[in-house]
Amino acid sequence: MAGIVHNSEARRALLNFVGTQILPHEADLRQWLLRLGVKAHELDDIVQDVYCRLLRLERFEHIEDPRAYLFRSARNVLLEQVRRNRVVSIVTVQNLDELGIADMGASPEAAAGARAELTRVLGLIEALPERCRRVFELRKVHGLSQAETARAMSISENIVEKETAKGLSLILRQMADSGASVVKALKPKLSQQPGDDKRGGERLYVAD
Amino acid sequence: MSRIDEDAARWVARLNGDASAEDRVAFDAWYAADPRHQGAYLRAEAAWTMLDRAEVMAHGDPEKAQQALDRTVRTARSAMTRRYAMGAGMAASVAGAVAIGFALKDRLSIATSLGELRSVPLQDRSVAAVNTDSRIEVDMSSRLRHVALVKGEVWFEVAKNPEVPFVVSAGDIRVRAVGTAFSVRRRAGGADVLVTEGTVETWTVHDTDRRVTLTAGHEAFMPETPQTVAVTFRPDDVERRLAWRTREIVLNSETLREAVAEFNRYNARQIVIADPAIGGETLVGGFHVDQPDTFARAVHGALNVPVSIGDDRIIIGTAAAAS
Repeated sequence: MAGIVHNSEARRALLNFVGTQILPHEADLRQWLLRLGVKAHELDDIVQDVYCRLLRLERFEHIEDPRAYLFRSARNVLLEQVRRNRVVSIVTVQNLDELGIADMGASPEAAAGARAELTRVLGLIEALPERCRRVFELRKVHGLSQAETARAMSISENIVEKETAKGLSLILRQMADSGASVVKALKPKLSQQPGDDKRGGERLYVAD
Repeated sequence: MSRIDEDAARWVARLNGDASAEDRVAFDAWYAADPRHQGAYLRAEAAWTMLDRAEVMAHGDPEKAQQALDRTVRTARSAMTRRYAMGAGMAASVAGAVAIGFALKDRLSIATSLGELRSVPLQDRSVAAVNTDSRIEVDMSSRLRHVALVKGEVWFEVAKNPEVPFVVSAGDIRVRAVGTAFSVRRRAGGADVLVTEGTVETWTVHDTDRRVTLTAGHEAFMPETPQTVAVTFRPDDVERRLAWRTREIVLNSETLREAVAEFNRYNARQIVIADPAIGGETLVGGFHVDQPDTFARAVHGALNVPVSIGDDRIIIGTAAAAS
């Protein structure tokens, strides 16, 4: 299947780019879309469409501000839907521009640093229900395979797979929902002196 | 989070676990079926890959990683909120959104008041959706199904019955269908005919020989006086212009003047454009027919013009001469 050659270098690079540069802004993007008046049931479709566009990227080194790039892509998806006359309940195209400029401010993530990022990733795993969390710790922190995880936990591979799917869903949902407030809370702090106050960055990421 | 996102997460788990050859075939089919699947899969796989950083970073700095892990374990576990509200479908269907009248008699008259939308099942199992400020007279006989559009706009979903023609008259304009769905809107000097399904035949009584055939996706303004009729094929536009059936107004580069005229069809609270100079500005967007105030606020934001929203009327722009 074109586009999903597993383990290819290009796919790997794309996954890294999306995972670290795009996903962290998804919650903000969803908030922004909601403020534009996009209805809740339209939201997932639009977000999926935006990610689908990323697949067409041949290279992404030239994208200097992935956050702005993400918002622009979403804006284009909206415009296209309006042109196709699907009732996207956005206010007006002109408003898209205004809101876009206001929201596409500098990324708070850029200054967060590797330590904070580790804490954030671990925080996502930590928030999972017990068995799910254990599966993710073994697979992602300790790097075990599905079979090794099953043996370590004395459960079947089938259950490991189910817990993996469930946990990944929950993590995606957490990134879509609650990420927004975390990122927002971070903004004032970082505006003082980005990167210097590492402890501050961590604390905010793990909050709640 | 949608069903598609859940499926994507399941596929990531399967393909990173113990996938069989059949699984891969099934995955390829799912992946190819819908661009949204591809987007959702990229998103889920990217999150999965991103979590690898936990390992990479933990190995890079084991002590600190362990501390971080210990600390997060101590943190009160936040329950995963599931406050995702799936909207209640794309507006409600016409039948659900409006009061349903029963019109099972041979002859009847249906009138709607300002802002009202009625979906009426007819005796022959056809359905008439009657838009704001409209009036139809229905006359069902064994040889002819006849509906007179006295004023306003109506959309029909016609029950198939080749034996008994279904004819709508709008002033001097006639529209004839067998089994199809179409709308007729009376205008000065003629009527708009929009076809959503099947085929209709339309003509003016002043020239019954010259008949225009319209199929799904086509629309035409039928003038009362015999003249050439311009037929356009714009299926998207036909659907857009019938957005009233779900009580919506969809604008696609209509002028402010046209948009305001649309809203004023539905509401006693009329919108007035005080500054003629802005009447030609074009707008894009979707609105609820009975929320002219939302529309006015959007115009305020889009065109950067003053808007005054009162209980009985809404004024957009300031008259250059006034105040």
